[in-house]
Amino acid sequence: MGEVDAVIEVEGLRKVFRGFKSLKVGPLPIPWGQRLRVEAVAGIDLTVRRGEIYGFLGPNGAGKTTTIKMLMGLIRPSAGVMRIFGGAPDEIETRARIGYLPEQPYFYDYLRPREILDFFGKLFLMPRAAREARIDELLPLVGLEDSQNKKLREFSKGMLQRIGIAGALLNEPDLVVLDEPLSGLDPIGRKELRDIIVAQRDLGRTVFFSSHILSDIEMICDKVAIIDHGVIRAVGTLAELLDSEHLEVEIIVRGVSQEILRDRFASVARVERIGEYSRLIVGEGQSNDALRVILELGGHVEGVVRRRESLEDLFVRSAERRGPAVGEEGA
Amino acid sequence: MKRRRSGAWRFTALRVAALAGNTFKEAVRNRAFIGLMFLAGAFLAFSLVLSSLAVTGQGNRVLLDFGFFSISLFGVLIAIVMGAILLHKEIDKKTIFTIIPKPVHRFEVVLGKYFGMLAILIVEVGVLSVLWLGLLWLKGAPVTPEIGKALLLIFLEIVLITAVALMFSSFSRPVLTGILATGVFIVGRVVYLVGEMLTARGGLFVDHPGLRPFGEAVVRVVPDLRVFDGSQEVLLEIPIRGSYLVSATGYCMSYVLVLLALSVLLFQRRDFT
Ligand SMILES: Nc1ncnc2c1ncn2[C@@H]1O[C@H](COP(=O)(O)OP(=O)(O)O)[C@@H](O)[C@H]1O
Ligand SMILES: [Mg+2]
Repeated sequence: MGEVDAVIEVEGLRKVFRGFKSLKVGPLPIPWGQRLRVEAVAGIDLTVRRGEIYGFLGPNGAGKTTTIKMLMGLIRPSAGVMRIFGGAPDEIETRARIGYLPEQPYFYDYLRPREILDFFGKLFLMPRAAREARIDELLPLVGLEDSQNKKLREFSKGMLQRIGIAGALLNEPDLVVLDEPLSGLDPIGRKELRDIIVAQRDLGRTVFFSSHILSDIEMICDKVAIIDHGVIRAVGTLAELLDSEHLEVEIIVRGVSQEILRDRFASVARVERIGEYSRLIVGEGQSNDALRVILELGGHVEGVVRRRESLEDLFVRSAERRGPAVGEEGA
Repeated sequence: MKRRRSGAWRFTALRVAALAGNTFKEAVRNRAFIGLMFLAGAFLAFSLVLSSLAVTGQGNRVLLDFGFFSISLFGVLIAIVMGAILLHKEIDKKTIFTIIPKPVHRFEVVLGKYFGMLAILIVEVGVLSVLWLGLLWLKGAPVTPEIGKALLLIFLEIVLITAVALMFSSFSRPVLTGILATGVFIVGRVVYLVGEMLTARGGLFVDHPGLRPFGEAVVRVVPDLRVFDGSQEVLLEIPIRGSYLVSATGYCMSYVLVLLALSVLLFQRRDFT
């Protein structure tokens, strides 16, 4: 069959939103004044390989949804190349192999869970028996078998998210694309979602999902990319990204104001507040200097801990920096 | 090769049917639609009252006139309201995000909406027509095949206006769509007058020659909806010929095809953000 190993390939993908800021006067949006130009995705490269769980992480407004929408054919790229399963993303044959959960899954609220899944199944040209069997399988999987007779307008956000997940798995897709799958889910829901994602990978499928919040779910990622301001800041396996190079020391301080600490450590440390204490996080080599300065300022050191950088730290660090991206796409 | 092509069309038909079915369900489960249906029914019932007040011998005429009027008015109203709302709602409520990435062509989405709306209008016109024919029969008015033909013509007009509304809704917001589509409907009803004025020896276009190109453009572009009015023939007991129905259908279809093609073109290029 000669299918390439890469499931999603993106090169130089860009999206610039243009238009006018509009003022709505009655039914007519009147363009006024200032032109709008937002470079939501500023030329990114991505390679997602078969069988990977790929986390696409970054803060709100980073460009995750825009990227995913371009892959899903909802938005036209301004520039760049996209391939899914080695072919054009908008081909019917390609789309038949994709399951997609939109960012805020809005569904036809006049339908019941079964009806909407059945409708989607028809669009995939699944025969009736196959649709019914698959729905019977999916509703319990996403924990909705007890809500079958409610219309979707009575559903909570988390329940809608569950329907969305069922919808994304309906066609037994080779590629599952989930935009913010955690949103609306409680901790139990997150755990279940994590199990579902891992189960998909174990079936040989590829999962690509975005998230702006960090939770345990990132730990199941085979690979993550961190995007911010439309630029990929870091790509790699978690082990690569959280490597020993980024060991840090956490210093808990009392008796010095936040402002003074921030001022003195502006370039070398992050300062966070925990109640009446402050937490300073500095690079490994800088802890002695930092402790000396704190003592000179008359502060009390309450604790010093050496720790490995967490993904959250990487996330914040990547989002804060404006320099070249860290990490390299593995060949 | 040929087999594959016909297979592709079959798949398109299946998907359009699924999309149309969903659109149909949406309208049927919508209170506004049901409300309009009841209102139309009440309107028809009101014609009974009017006909009993009419001058002797004119009662049936009132019944006929009023029936044609209400069936066509509510049909067009529902067509415009649905055309304005349904596609826009799909985008506004972001349900379109779940449809476009599916293995469907965008033109299938447009066709699905259109045929779904037609299905609703068939039900609407069908129910009202049966109700009305029942009333006519109860009042002892003659129920002739010409009435059926005139109803068919009304339906053709509704089919056309639905396509007009859908075309506008593929680039504008509901209120604007409603205004534009209503405008086309009204102008379409009187466009023959504009045509007459253009050939007249005096009047507007002679006094203001600058308006002439505008008038000519209107006559050329806007459908002449008088084509779909068979009520006078029914009242005057003039037969509506089969060949007339065929040419009216052709007239309607040529507009519908162009309007659907425009809708697809406009819809094709859209970003869904
Ligand atoms: N339709 C649009 N018009 C203008 N700007 C947009 C539009 N959609 C998104 N953006 C902007 O593009 C950037 C990226 O947005 P998005 O892809 O939704 O981010 P994320 O999903 O990572 O939170 C944001 O700055 C957002 O404001
Ligand atoms: Mg997003």
